[in-house]
Amino acid sequence: MTKERQLSALKVLGGVILAIVLLTFPFIFKKPFPQRMMILIFMYALLGEAWNILGGYAGQVSLGHAIFFGLGAYTSSFMLIRWGITPWLGMVAGILIAVVISIIIGYPCFRLAGHYFAIATIAAGEIVAITFLNWKLMGGAIGLFLPLLDESLLNFEFHSSKAPYYYIILAMLVVTVFIAYRIERSRLGFYFRAIKNDPDAARSLGIDLTKYKLIAMIISAALTAVAGTFYAQYLLFIDPHTVLPLMLSIQMCLIPVLGGTGTIAGPIIGSCILIPMAEYTRVYLAGKVSGLHLFLYGLLIIVFAVFQPAGLMGLVQRYRRRG
Amino acid sequence: MALLEISNLTKRFGGLVANNAVSMEVNEGEIVGLIGPNGAGKTTLFNCISGFYSSDGGSVVFEGKDITRSSADQVCREGMGRTFQIVKIFKDMTVLENVMIGAFCRTTSPERARAEALKTLEFVGLVEKRDVPGGSLTIAEQKRLELARAVATQPRLLMLDETMAGLNPMETREAVELLRKINAQGVTLIVVEHVMEAIMTISDRIMVLDYGKKIAEDVPEKIAQNEEVIKAYLGERYYARS
Repeated sequence: MTKERQLSALKVLGGVILAIVLLTFPFIFKKPFPQRMMILIFMYALLGEAWNILGGYAGQVSLGHAIFFGLGAYTSSFMLIRWGITPWLGMVAGILIAVVISIIIGYPCFRLAGHYFAIATIAAGEIVAITFLNWKLMGGAIGLFLPLLDESLLNFEFHSSKAPYYYIILAMLVVTVFIAYRIERSRLGFYFRAIKNDPDAARSLGIDLTKYKLIAMIISAALTAVAGTFYAQYLLFIDPHTVLPLMLSIQMCLIPVLGGTGTIAGPIIGSCILIPMAEYTRVYLAGKVSGLHLFLYGLLIIVFAVFQPAGLMGLVQRYRRRG
Repeated sequence: MALLEISNLTKRFGGLVANNAVSMEVNEGEIVGLIGPNGAGKTTLFNCISGFYSSDGGSVVFEGKDITRSSADQVCREGMGRTFQIVKIFKDMTVLENVMIGAFCRTTSPERARAEALKTLEFVGLVEKRDVPGGSLTIAEQKRLELARAVATQPRLLMLDETMAGLNPMETREAVELLRKINAQGVTLIVVEHVMEAIMTISDRIMVLDYGKKIAEDVPEKIAQNEEVIKAYLGERYYARS
């Protein structure tokens, strides 16, 4: 066997083992804590992948992505509470609303370059958060409590075990990764990278900047909204502080930055590191040092910005090129 | 009908008139040189024609179609390519990927874009470097890559902004050869250049800009003797003495 074939056989084997481990995980670890941890890792990996399409590939750093997460969560929850509509349909409605809002925000903001775009998205995020905080119909600061329904896939509620949530978010992550993979290998992915590298050169080669930035934004917002609905169904309670805070937007950005922007594996790696770190510090140091995980986040941002701006995947790629 | 017709094109930056009612025609298959002292408005003219600037007056007609108000990406898709005075390559992308971006202008299929890009790289002589990141090329190679990328969009008119600046004599000769090869494929060229030796040998016609105005337009031999041009380049005093 040649070295390459050995390597690809190894990859297939690794993939099969990973799939078995992921699929049997809830049967082996039955306690809520590890299951909750995995669910959060998957969800944040999904959010990171979604952010990565706009921020990583197309280079438009958004710090307002909580907007789309919140819109997904609020839309499906509101439709369920008001009209008893299944969250799955609510999810579709949430996607549509997130897409519309993403165009409304993106169209004017994409005229801004670099940092100014990021600042504008922060402002947009705060506007949406404050709107929901004062919107009586949407529960205002109190938030929305979702009705307890019978356990079923249609109702998107499971009470006796977290395992179904685990499989749902895993499936959502797999679909998201597949979408990102397809984009990366298509003209769309090439165009996104060209826009990130040099917008003027991209224009001179026939790329309509606004159009392609908007496409990136729409895909990114739609996927983020899906995660929003999932989170609402998982917690069965939402308020502006849980689904619309600036901290959430920063986290969505930080995960791919840590793992490596503009790569498929980056957001997954980032989530696998950041989420356990946040969860463990929150659990074990809760009473003693509050907000320690935020401190560690800050420290990580500084370390990576200075020493490894390409993220962990940058290290992998450098190693590969040498080897 | 000329391939490109520019009439009374004007561009102002505040009080400065960068292009003052410039008119010119470019015929299919020609190589037209565009020269002038620094700040004469050559790059501004390029930017106005290629849709990077919106002009303040006049019109640009390409293949009978008015493209005065078209955006830069539309202009490219209409069949007009350009390069930049200061090279703008996609540094994080490989040489092949750089050229694929150009090829994607005519196809959505990555396979076809790859094949087209490889053909173009072969044509400009960069095919051995295909897997190298664009940012690690030498300046001469980067300029050639930029040219390849524009060629891959399959333009009928190509506007080149100082593709030879900063090249050594050997590289300049290679660049001239390459431009001739591109022209032989049926691509019309407008070339901005400071390397006189190159522009005099390659151009069918030369247009001279000074202070935003067209001061001369003729075949290279006549341009070299044109009084206005000598004044613009060397100053009134030198002209009087000669």
